[in-house]
Amino acid sequence: MQSNAAMEYDYSIVKLYMWTTVIFGIVGMLIGVIIASQLAWPQLNYMMGEYGTFSRLRPIHTNVVVYGFMISGIFVGFYYSAQRVLKVSMGESKFLMTLGYLQFFLYLIAASGMVISEAMGITTSKEYAQMEWPLDILIVVIWVIWGVIMFGLIGMRREKALYISMWYYVATFLGVAMLYLFNNMEVPTQLLSGGLGAWYHSVSMYAGTNDAMVQWWWGHNAVAFVFTVPIIALIYYFLPKESGQAVYSYKLSLLSFWGLMFIYLWAGGHHLLWSTVPDWVQTMASVFSVILILPSWGSAINMLLTMKGEWNQLTENPLIKFMVLASTFYMLSTLEGPIQAVKSVNAIAHFTDWIPGHVHDGTLGWVSFMVFATLMHSAPRVFKREIYSKSLLEAQFWIQTVGVVLYFTSMWIAGITQGMMWRAVDEYGNLMYSFIDTVNALHPYWAIRAVGGTLYFIGLLMFAYNFFMTATAGRKLETEPQFRSPMA
Amino acid sequence: MFHWLEKNPFFFAVGVFLTIAFAGAVTILPNFSKSAQPIKGLKPYTVLQLAGRGVYIKDNCLSCHSQMIRPFKAETDRYGQYSLSGEYAYDRPFLWGSRRIGPDLHRVGNYRTPDWHANHMWNPKSVVPGSIMPAYKHQFTNIADTETAYAEAVTVKRAFGVPYGDDIQPGKAAYEKELKAKVLPDALKIATQMKNKDLIAKVKAGKIPEVVALVAYLERLK
Amino acid sequence: MDQLSIYGYVIGSGIMVVVFYSYIVYLYRSEKRGHKDYEKYGKIALDDEIDSKPVEKGLEPVKKNKE
Repeated sequence: MQSNAAMEYDYSIVKLYMWTTVIFGIVGMLIGVIIASQLAWPQLNYMMGEYGTFSRLRPIHTNVVVYGFMISGIFVGFYYSAQRVLKVSMGESKFLMTLGYLQFFLYLIAASGMVISEAMGITTSKEYAQMEWPLDILIVVIWVIWGVIMFGLIGMRREKALYISMWYYVATFLGVAMLYLFNNMEVPTQLLSGGLGAWYHSVSMYAGTNDAMVQWWWGHNAVAFVFTVPIIALIYYFLPKESGQAVYSYKLSLLSFWGLMFIYLWAGGHHLLWSTVPDWVQTMASVFSVILILPSWGSAINMLLTMKGEWNQLTENPLIKFMVLASTFYMLSTLEGPIQAVKSVNAIAHFTDWIPGHVHDGTLGWVSFMVFATLMHSAPRVFKREIYSKSLLEAQFWIQTVGVVLYFTSMWIAGITQGMMWRAVDEYGNLMYSFIDTVNALHPYWAIRAVGGTLYFIGLLMFAYNFFMTATAGRKLETEPQFRSPMA
Repeated sequence: MFHWLEKNPFFFAVGVFLTIAFAGAVTILPNFSKSAQPIKGLKPYTVLQLAGRGVYIKDNCLSCHSQMIRPFKAETDRYGQYSLSGEYAYDRPFLWGSRRIGPDLHRVGNYRTPDWHANHMWNPKSVVPGSIMPAYKHQFTNIADTETAYAEAVTVKRAFGVPYGDDIQPGKAAYEKELKAKVLPDALKIATQMKNKDLIAKVKAGKIPEVVALVAYLERLK
Repeated sequence: MDQLSIYGYVIGSGIMVVVFYSYIVYLYRSEKRGHKDYEKYGKIALDDEIDSKPVEKGLEPVKKNKE
């Protein structure tokens, strides 16, 4: 044990991903604010010629926030917490450190390639899998490197049992790998055509209904394995650590983990209710979506009960606020999702704004709040400085909370309004509204949504400033804080 | 049982993988070949239509338009016959979309004409007052990538046995031949129906603007 | 064939429910009787300095060689 005393955890990779989290967050959410405003005020479509239309910008928004902001944030959490729960430093292995830098470098290439190609309209069109085959290959390489690092660290570990967070990281790795590979099976068109056409173009291996099934098996489970599973990994580490309270029930986490793993993958078909996929698949998806409440709430309740007897921390510590509200939003969206997956509700909700509303109370309320908490908890340990401003963090919390609430309430109303207007008939059974009526009715809600998004974005800028100042100008710390992060 | 796995990372990973792979295997595989069957009489997309489909994908029309008419009266009244699985048999990728900011387009060819589209793509508000769709004027100047579309046709013919005729063959010469024999005449027909002199002149000069290919594709959606 | 898969699903679900619930019972029982202490693993996150004592020792010998 003596020889270890001088050793430290190595956070150099963590630092790199922290900056990409902040930068991609700003870029992705700025585009989000722009496209939200374009719906309310369509003149905004004409700012950048063909590259500024809603249709081109939307995939860039989703991809930058998912693969830029969230994945970076998840890597921050992983490279920070995996070392700690395994009690092994990345610095102990030159090989793993080199791989870490390589992964970050390739990640930057892939992320910028993704943005540029989508702006140019080079896309496979499948949601969350828009990248064409050259980028797909790069992404697979990045992912494999991550896997090598993960299992490398696990192989070197001093702690025999894997902590809960590690289960979720392993599941993220495997889940995304499997789903991504299957969904991106494609044939480059130059291969069989004698070198004709664009070199980057490809066609999907699946057609029509099968393509849709595979895509939403992935699409839904991208939500599972990027928005949910790794974020649970984060909260299982950062909430107990920040609050100094051991997780409420290890047994419950065990059960909800395996429950979630088993049930989540069945639910993908709920994106295709009333479509041409076989009925039994739809029914199955609907049923499993409802069952999914159990393991989801298992994790969320486990988190909330971890705070048992320590609720005073909620008023004192903004980071605890972020994490507790995140688990509350997790409960909300995992209840809302199953409701939307009930076939009769889905008949109204599908294709409406209620769906993006649902996505955003999960991503803004749960994922992003957890990412903010992750970065701010790690910052004092990584930079050995105090958090720059507590009051800024408090203000950010409230502004963003108001933003999220405005966002999802307006989207609920917009979605249900439009869904009902589409099907409204007069006394003779004729449709009451032309399509454009149902669009124009949404203007006020879209305006509110844009305001909510803007508030959230302002909060993000406050966070970015606070984080930058913490890293460069926070008061120096002599010793590493054990639990609660110090803030000025 | 499960707890033991946490100390044995290899078996843990295997266990997680089996648990998550199970659902996909059970839900996707049984219907796979059945779902791939085209309905009777379904023709593969022509090269021009494929090029138009490429434009649809490039400008990501599916951000706002679905191609999936659900079996409800309100939908069949508005858009026509509900969608059937076999109609999508040649759709690689599928373009069902997930959000209807604009109306469904699966049978738009039944109730819109090429000249309507020409006006609509140039200035949506001129034909749909109150429309929030942006104008896609760049589609009138950008030239459609028919070569890639042709490459796509060759690829699906050779890899997946999509029933194209004998004239769809790999190689530049076969492409040039197809372009002169079919693609340009098809495009000229559409451009004429779009009643736009500029577009007609461009097609006659051997260049097919994106919007012409796109309209050829939209006309096919019936 | 359809009949068969329906029976398959029903029986399969039944078995899984039984296995899952008996595992829950097993977990709580073995802890109550003092055979196992699961909750100690929750401490891994709290006491996570590189030189703190692991809850259960890992692969120490391998490490020693490397240093």
